[in-house]
Amino acid sequence: MNLNQLNLVEARQGLISKQFSSKELVQSCLDQIKKNEASLNSFVTVSEKEALSQAEKADLSKPLGGIPIAVKDNFLTQNIKTTASAKVLDNYLPQYNSTVVQKLVDAGAIIIGKTNMDAWAHGSSTETSDYGSTKNPWNINHLPGGSSGGSAAAISADEAIVSVGSETAGSIRQPASWCGVVGLKPTYGRVSRYGVIAMKSSTDSPGPITKNVEDAATLLEIISGSDPHDATSMDESSWKKPSTLPNLKNIKLGLPLSYFPKEIQPEVKAAILGAVEVFKKLGAEIIELPDILDPKYSIAVYTILQRSEVSSNLARFDGVRYGHDRTFFGQEAKRRIMLGTYSLSSGYYDAYYTKAQKVRTLICQDFDRQFQKVDAIIQPVSPTTALKIGATVGQSMFGELQDMFVEPSSIAGLSGISLPCGFDNNNLPIGLGITCAQKREDLVYQLAKIFEDNTDYHTKKPQL
Amino acid sequence: MKITPIIGLEVHVELKTKSKMFCGCDASHFHADPNTHTCPVCLGLPGALPVPNKAACEWCIKLGLALGCTINNETFFERKNYFYPDLAKGYQITQLQKPFAINGSLTIDGHKIRINRAHMEEDTGKSVHVGDETLLDFNRSGVPLVEVVSEPDISSPEEAKKYLVKLQQLIRYLGISDADIEKGSMRCEPTVNVCIDDQYFTPLVEIKNVASLTGVMTAIQYEINRQVEQYQADGITKNKTNKTTRGWDADHQRTFLQREKEGSADYRYFPEPDIPPIIFTDEQIESIKLTLPELPDQKISRYQTYGLSDYDANLLADTIEFSQIFDKIVSSPNPEYAKFVTNLLIGPLKTISLSLEKINPIYFKNLFDHKSELSSTAIKQLIIDSYESDIDPLEIAKQKNLFQVSDTGAIETIAKQVLTDNPKAVADYQKNPLSIGYLVGQVMKASSGSANPQVAKEVLEKLLN
Repeated sequence: MNLNQLNLVEARQGLISKQFSSKELVQSCLDQIKKNEASLNSFVTVSEKEALSQAEKADLSKPLGGIPIAVKDNFLTQNIKTTASAKVLDNYLPQYNSTVVQKLVDAGAIIIGKTNMDAWAHGSSTETSDYGSTKNPWNINHLPGGSSGGSAAAISADEAIVSVGSETAGSIRQPASWCGVVGLKPTYGRVSRYGVIAMKSSTDSPGPITKNVEDAATLLEIISGSDPHDATSMDESSWKKPSTLPNLKNIKLGLPLSYFPKEIQPEVKAAILGAVEVFKKLGAEIIELPDILDPKYSIAVYTILQRSEVSSNLARFDGVRYGHDRTFFGQEAKRRIMLGTYSLSSGYYDAYYTKAQKVRTLICQDFDRQFQKVDAIIQPVSPTTALKIGATVGQSMFGELQDMFVEPSSIAGLSGISLPCGFDNNNLPIGLGITCAQKREDLVYQLAKIFEDNTDYHTKKPQL
Repeated sequence: MKITPIIGLEVHVELKTKSKMFCGCDASHFHADPNTHTCPVCLGLPGALPVPNKAACEWCIKLGLALGCTINNETFFERKNYFYPDLAKGYQITQLQKPFAINGSLTIDGHKIRINRAHMEEDTGKSVHVGDETLLDFNRSGVPLVEVVSEPDISSPEEAKKYLVKLQQLIRYLGISDADIEKGSMRCEPTVNVCIDDQYFTPLVEIKNVASLTGVMTAIQYEINRQVEQYQADGITKNKTNKTTRGWDADHQRTFLQREKEGSADYRYFPEPDIPPIIFTDEQIESIKLTLPELPDQKISRYQTYGLSDYDANLLADTIEFSQIFDKIVSSPNPEYAKFVTNLLIGPLKTISLSLEKINPIYFKNLFDHKSELSSTAIKQLIIDSYESDIDPLEIAKQKNLFQVSDTGAIETIAKQVLTDNPKAVADYQKNPLSIGYLVGQVMKASSGSANPQVAKEVLEKLLN
């Protein structure tokens, strides 16, 4: 086994017990990147020199001391190029660190590189990156999902020990699902957005993408907490992972019937129902949720609100201050800016934006009702396993349809996770979604951990 | 032809909070080196987020309360989207649907000018044009602004000026801004049109770049005249889409067309997702209300109950500092004393910049109690000397021997001598009794000013008759 294949717990143990050095660990990941980048393209920037020099002075007394981490390219990293995979920012060197990156650096982590994503995080495939698509490590003819596809692929391919991504509606959980890794989407406001290039400000949620549930929880402990630079961050200190696991006999799990439409890939449905059986055997009570709002409503709500915010958030890239002018915006960004500008225009605002906000409130209220009946919702993350390269071509609503099962929970700002729960007939991973109410990452972690402890899907690795 | 001007004023006031509206940068930008008071937030760098300045919000509410506004318990910020090189984010954070304060008023000479709203927003950067180049300075970017919008209730350029002066006075009373029009910490944009013969309304014109109080008056007057002439020429009246923006050219004393079809501008306002709604409870608003000082109108009416004239009351209430000095000296409504103090403050002490701390009310009281023994000239000099030296004016009067002698015996001795020394004046008096003034003057001179002139006159008359 190579060092780069270790998870966070193992890597930390090895470093502390001096079985290997941080430099060896970082080098091992760099070697893996070198070996696979030509086919995977997980990274926009690999910070080899800086990472190796950081490794030499790694402070192992810190919680992430000496650990190489891959960071999605929409997190600002001081003096490391940050592009959000968009050519407009082709040569942008940030003057400051995002709060998440600062917390990681303060915890001793070593940034090994910036991972590829859909340009501006506009997508669910990483295929819209201005730097070329990332490929799925399980089959390079397939997409990794997105927008945090680079982070998910990098973890799946053992190019880093842990990574961070960001989710606006599915951008952590869906690529985690397609790449067979763990992606934790925290409650909106749990993790600071300061220094993350804004996509849809009202739901952007940074979070970990890791090799197992434990690592995701450890990373969340470090990156969470109230931030004086983010007025929407929760007024709570950093999240603490619960030290015990509950008896499932006291847990009610909801099965949202409308999340299994006939279009869902049969193997995905079977895997989720299989996971339900695992929980059932462990004593959990399974309650069907027949009246949960059909996730299809979220597609329209999300599309309108997201395009509206995008049209405003991208206005600052006006060609006056940053390297490239607006002709460098890709097709997808242009489409979104135009649609958002339209939906905010006077005369259309009430019909689109205001109405979408009203439906958003209904979706939040619906979840409140469901969580009176159950503690958590068990659901598919994506209707399919990883689709083939090129699947997004000509599909301007690709992401919204792919993410329809996770859009409702994103819109409501809930906490959730995707973790491996099976494979389809082509040996492509399937992700299990566990969704809890706001601020219930404790239960998300506990349920995911229990599932992981009782299954071995997370131990399977792609053949590279 | 009957011409009725219809004027509304939008006034932007830069708050003098320590830090900017949405970041920790120093908010003072006047004369600072360009782009030295900046950070990722006010430069609008990728990923930067606004965090509202609590003090600025409270000050906005304070101004709202002083204007008699209703304060909204729940407000939120919105984005106003437009492109401009000095607008770093491509949008300005402002308020449209739910401003902090609504429905207030200012009363000018008994005429109530309704105030639509006072809302909170951020200032933009500054474009500095040098030759063919435009330089950008972001020191001003993100400085807190309160926008006070009046209803179109103002009916003349003079009233517009009075409204501005009164608003400026109120703002300075609250201590929330210098409200200096020349320095740009108070900026005014009049919207003007004219009603002709009570039935035709000329198209609305918003006037920009007015940088002085006189400028506001002349620009509005120019615009009234221009619109009347224009109407006579083309007969075009106001509609939804023909509002225009005109700049004021102070050099040539005229307005010029800047933008047409203002009505079609679409700023695509929507709630600012980066800032949660802001809640002020009734209790919090009440406690802000308690921090309001006594306001100019309240001061003026209180001074009038002291028996002071309108004129005096207005002078005293002109600035909060001046009125505080008066209030420190005059703590109870005694009309005679109030008038006495007022005369000193707006007379001899007017040219001195007084400090509240240095003022000793006892000195004023002592002078007042002994005013019959001192000449008015002496009183004027004594109050200045005592303020500057911090010595009791009665003490100084004693040292300088300024107390007037009212003792007829002593004055008679001096008067007899004066009559002996001035036979010609005595002869004059016999012809014309009104010429006694000269002899009184001589008595005053001989007594080194200490004689009470009234007593001197009586003694002289007695001796001469």
